Amino acid sequence: MSEMKEMILDVAERMLEDHVTKDVVDVLEKGEWAKDVWKLFEDNGMISVAVPEEKGGAGGDLEDLLNLVRLTGKYAAPIPFAETTFANFLLETGNLETVDQVATYSLQEGLSLQNGQISGTLDNVPWARHAKHLVALVQKQIALIDLADATIQPGSNMAGEPRDTVILNNAKVQSSSLLTDEQIFHLKSIETAFKIALMTGAIEKINQLSVQYSKEREQFGRPIHRFQLVQYQIAQLAGETAIALAAFNNVCAAVQSDKVLHEIAFARIRFEDAITTVTAVSHQLHAAIGTTHEHALHQYTRRLWSWRDEGTSADYWSGHIADYLLNHDDDLWAYLTKTTGAAVKN
Amino acid sequence: MFQLPTVQFTEEQEAFRLEVRNFLQEHIKKGTFTPKCDSWLSGVDPSFSKLIGEKGWIGMTWPKKYGGQERSTIDRYILTEEFLASGAPVAAHWFADRQTGPLLLRYGTEEQKQFFLPKIAKGECYFAIGLSEPNSGSDLASVRTRAEKVEGGWIVNGQKIWTSNAHICHYMIALVRTSPFDGKYKHAGLSQLIIDLRAEGVTIVPIKFLTGEHHFNEVFFDNVFVPDNMVVGEIGNGWEQGLAELAFERSGPERILSTYLLVDELVQELKRQGNKEGLKQAAKLLSRLWGLRNLSIGVAKLLESGDAKNVAIPASLVKAIGTKFEQSVPEVARLLVETYPKLDAERKFDRYMAQSILHSPGFTIRGGTTEILYGMVAKGVVAK
Repeated sequence: MSEMKEMILDVAERMLEDHVTKDVVDVLEKGEWAKDVWKLFEDNGMISVAVPEEKGGAGGDLEDLLNLVRLTGKYAAPIPFAETTFANFLLETGNLETVDQVATYSLQEGLSLQNGQISGTLDNVPWARHAKHLVALVQKQIALIDLADATIQPGSNMAGEPRDTVILNNAKVQSSSLLTDEQIFHLKSIETAFKIALMTGAIEKINQLSVQYSKEREQFGRPIHRFQLVQYQIAQLAGETAIALAAFNNVCAAVQSDKVLHEIAFARIRFEDAITTVTAVSHQLHAAIGTTHEHALHQYTRRLWSWRDEGTSADYWSGHIADYLLNHDDDLWAYLTKTTGAAVKN
Repeated sequence: MFQLPTVQFTEEQEAFRLEVRNFLQEHIKKGTFTPKCDSWLSGVDPSFSKLIGEKGWIGMTWPKKYGGQERSTIDRYILTEEFLASGAPVAAHWFADRQTGPLLLRYGTEEQKQFFLPKIAKGECYFAIGLSEPNSGSDLASVRTRAEKVEGGWIVNGQKIWTSNAHICHYMIALVRTSPFDGKYKHAGLSQLIIDLRAEGVTIVPIKFLTGEHHFNEVFFDNVFVPDNMVVGEIGNGWEQGLAELAFERSGPERILSTYLLVDELVQELKRQGNKEGLKQAAKLLSRLWGLRNLSIGVAKLLESGDAKNVAIPASLVKAIGTKFEQSVPEVARLLVETYPKLDAERKFDRYMAQSILHSPGFTIRGGTTEILYGMVAKGVVAK
């Protein structure tokens, strides 16, 4: 990553650190969201990072965007940043004009398209009630819909993030574009990369909270990090955090070079282990206080428990790897060490 | 502290990987060696080591004037990965290549470099590591083997244990006490000496591994004379010097790939069976391997850029988590493909399974136990 990029990320991280406190994350559970943080992101051109400048965006690339998404995960920012930016990525992929306002997306099956109108029901659509636009995959088409044309029933995931039911009844398609199978596969890959970014951020934060707590909390007259069994917990968290970050950075490098081979699949599968370990170990380390609403830990563990079952699943990616192995004769080691395999492009 | 560089291999590096792979495949076909799990530590074959030396593949990162090739750390990483993935018998020269060379390059005298390095690079001179003692395992700084100053050198008395392959090695780099033990400053007064294992007063006694294989040894020193020019670095600086090499020892691909042959055979068996569900389970193993490899290559890159400060924690993590992964491979594989593990089985899967199971207890002990490593990681993380 260039120094310029690091500077932008530093600015974003400071913004999030200053403005997204525990209380701000909590507003989601009252049905509100952090509009002022969204405004800050807008004013700093971060909503349109990775949208080319000639199309009115802020420039930058997918690696920058994924790192910003990671930071929103690290602070559990209650804004639809990943959703809006991924919706715009979908529009970009379909060569459609991107949008400026809050947007969400769906890659779910079950919608039908007839005479320029869409019908069907989508479950657990993130942030729909706060969004102006929905970008949905309908029978291999990417379609932009105005959510004013939809009926929205509010719901939430285990972390209290908005996950709404969207009912479309002959909703008008604002713009649409047909995609190839390769493009659709690529969308799933990048959607997964976004999820990996969010999860990486949450894991980083959980690790941070845990180390901090182990230094503050004293029992038997000394900080608990002095106990060997607690050190084992700290080391496990460090290990999963290091593996998650390295996985994320390798995913970014693969995405950036347009040579995504198996990085996203392996990262997503590996994050299942990471989430199981990190959530269980961090709660055990925090003990009783970590199970309270008052402590911030649950804002991250509940998100990880929710996010892992949203979007394209680890099981899908295991199946993808299994199919690849079944259908190719190349030696496994050659496959694992190949870094310049078939490029998956838009 | 967790941010590691990513590495994308260049075309030249990919070509080099293929060159090594083809060479090894050719020799497997010729019958030069039979692939085995864990052969980087238990596969001793001096004639194969000489062959590798002739290729310029020992000490390949060292200066040319000492018999090296001045290649990059990443090139060496690729080379070692290929050795491991093919189960090649590289144990004879492994420690000299991995540890002795870098140690001498950093701390050795010109005379030592000129004398030892070219021999090592040719695959003709092997070094053992002299660290553990009967009462100094994890608590290494408590070593008691002592060296007393005499005219022209040192007289060594004491004992080392768990010395891998000492019986085929020419020399040992021994960590010895050159000042009396002081409980308050136990890291002080330690020095590194090169001991000729053929010298008078050296006795090497085998310790049979649980399979009956001769791999470990006890090495006794009874008034062994070590000349002054065989002191590595400074007297009293042995602990610091030893620590500097630990990152190399702990972060390499040999901490991930000791049971790779079994992973490979597992996938091949599942493919033959057309077992998609099994392959999905195997994909989990592959994802763990991928995750560890990112970490290990990141550390290699960091070491190359000379950023030794930030490698201790990730290097320890590679060893601690990587060796647990190696151990988990037979446990996962045996539930996916039916097996009757046997060291002399015809079927590769059964043979690799037996090798992996029987060697696996050592993975998480040698080179620093998981417990010691986790303790170091935790202390490092808390101190930041």
